[in-house]
Amino acid sequence: MENAINLSSQAPESDMECSDNDNDCFDDDDYYNIVDDSEIEQIDPSKTDPENFKYDCLGEEQVERLLNETVECLSYNLKITPSLAKVLLLSHQWRVNKIIEKFRKDASELLISSRIKPPVTPPSLSLSRYITCPVCVVVQPAEKFFSLSCSHMFCKDCWVTHFEVQINQGISTAISCMARDCVVLAPEDFVLKHLSRPSMREKYQQFTFQDYVKSHPELRFCPGPNCPIVVHSTEIRAKRATCSNCKTAFCFQCGMDYHAPTECSIIKKWLTKCADDSETANYISAHTKDCPKCHICIEKNGGCNHMQCYNCKHDFCWMCLGDWKSHGSEYYECSRYRENPNIAHESAHTQAREALKKYLHYYERWENHSKSLKLEEQTLEKLRARINQKVMAGVGTWIDWQYLFTAASLLAKCRYTLQYTYPYAYYMDVGPRKELFEYQQAQLEAEIENLSWKIERAETTDRGDLENQMDIAEKRRTTLLKDFLDV
Amino acid sequence: MANIAAQRIRREFKEVIKSEEVAKCAIKVELLNDSYTELKGEITGPPDTAYEGGTFVLEIKVPETYPFNPPKVRFITKIWHPNISSVTGAICLDILKDQWAAAMTLRTVLLSLQALLSAAEPDDPQDAVVAKQFKENIEMFQMTARHWTNVYAGGPHVNKECDDKIKRLVDMGVEEHQARVALSSYNWDIERATEQLFS
Ligand SMILES: [Zn+2]
Ligand SMILES: [Zn+2]
Ligand SMILES: [Zn+2]
Ligand SMILES: [Zn+2]
Ligand SMILES: [Zn+2]
Ligand SMILES: [Zn+2]
Repeated sequence: MENAINLSSQAPESDMECSDNDNDCFDDDDYYNIVDDSEIEQIDPSKTDPENFKYDCLGEEQVERLLNETVECLSYNLKITPSLAKVLLLSHQWRVNKIIEKFRKDASELLISSRIKPPVTPPSLSLSRYITCPVCVVVQPAEKFFSLSCSHMFCKDCWVTHFEVQINQGISTAISCMARDCVVLAPEDFVLKHLSRPSMREKYQQFTFQDYVKSHPELRFCPGPNCPIVVHSTEIRAKRATCSNCKTAFCFQCGMDYHAPTECSIIKKWLTKCADDSETANYISAHTKDCPKCHICIEKNGGCNHMQCYNCKHDFCWMCLGDWKSHGSEYYECSRYRENPNIAHESAHTQAREALKKYLHYYERWENHSKSLKLEEQTLEKLRARINQKVMAGVGTWIDWQYLFTAASLLAKCRYTLQYTYPYAYYMDVGPRKELFEYQQAQLEAEIENLSWKIERAETTDRGDLENQMDIAEKRRTTLLKDFLDV
Repeated sequence: MANIAAQRIRREFKEVIKSEEVAKCAIKVELLNDSYTELKGEITGPPDTAYEGGTFVLEIKVPETYPFNPPKVRFITKIWHPNISSVTGAICLDILKDQWAAAMTLRTVLLSLQALLSAAEPDDPQDAVVAKQFKENIEMFQMTARHWTNVYAGGPHVNKECDDKIKRLVDMGVEEHQARVALSSYNWDIERATEQLFS
């Protein structure tokens, strides 16, 4: 017979100080050391760049080390086994100080609510030499039996099978006692003591690792396919993290595609809505429209929304089909949706139609920019091929043409933000703040289309002009984010 | 079949036979094959419920990993209950899912199912239509459940009005059970049931 927990093992002499965010080895001190003291003020990107985000991309071993530091710290402070410290950390989002505080206040209550101890004190252990296992109903000598802190005895073979069945179903840190209505959890050391097959031990440790990372507020698995990287940041915000291994960029807070300036909850709502209404919105996916002047059918094969009819040379906007010349000054009428101010007094039918119209307005623009992003990627491929030819023909070197690729990646970044301004605007309340947002959105949109137009015609655009346009577009983007990125 | 599973079922089978509930005719199990993988269970409807006087037959399938995983149980007898599908007999009960514990037995399962008949949990429904009726019109639900118990489980309460409505639909060419389901789903409103059946 053996009891799984030992609440009074290893008694250290003094307390060790713990802090929830204390992970010295991952501090960014080195980053600043290479900069002259005098320059720090100008360089501090957290003040100038609204998207600035400090994070580290960690491999499995580094994550283990980070987790173990916290585990050891708690284990040392409460004088409990590391295995029990893990159970506590898992159920308390790794908040060491919170756990210590609760422990000092009422240790028993903490251990019960964390499913380490049973709510009622177990009856005294049976002293008979033979026991019938309630699971396999085999009678065996008492030394073949084990229990958790709840004293529910089961034979070793049954514990092993229980663990293996659970692990094969993907369960690891949530494995509980086999007795009816008993919620006591099997801590890691108890499970590992019984598992002997190496493949099972490995699977178990892999699953517990996943549970630990998922329960840790400062850690996120990289969402890239089969990528082992874990991103760590002490700033739990909707900021962009880019994986150093697979280059996947994602929102650190929710793990979805980065979505500034829209908030996590709003983008989730928007994406659900888009999925629900996909049929209604389907007709939008037109690749062709008629020229508003000569009515010839025009196919959109680039990302730029400033269109020029190949037949009559008329310049128009792909989104609203308005004349591009007048569009330039009044652009913001194109991105903005004009709501009917008297809608509250209209019939339910009219209101429903209006709601759909509003949604389609935003959805169409959201979808269009997403398509433009893909088309601009194709444009870039074509550009790469053309430049390759030029370089082969001796017209400049790759370095001479590098600025074009820089421009293209900036364009992608700007258009990406622009795409995510539409769900933001859709859920905004009408008022001066929305007006300001739409004004800035329109400004950004205009500069992006100008940039796209210039990149598509790269060989005839001079470099200075293009670089100037890049500057303006990026400035508009950061201004909008600075004013509206609220994380 | 795994050794432990057969060993356990053999033992449990004896346990149920000897139990006081069997003596009171409340629960019953029967083996359907020699390998202990399939059993037939029976529970009687609890007193003071719409299921009183009925006998409900259950299909019990024992997985290889039993008792580390729960047995698969469903109602063979058709029943009107928020946590049991009126179509397939599938059951929504926590101990048959993630709240199962290896130390539980078939006897525990049968007694828990009997308890479920006394205390439905409409907020965790298996059958949404039944759950809705349970929440919105408890008398209508009781009447319907009693009628189903009478027809399918041998309960004593004949409901003339229900039988008449079903007969009217059967005379129109509708299959009897289908007619009962439609009427039950539409609070015994014969017009709406007809509309649904012929649409
Ligand atoms: Zn056993
Ligand atoms: Zn227990
Ligand atoms: Zn990655
Ligand atoms: Zn997010
Ligand atoms: Zn034209
Ligand atoms: Zn337009």
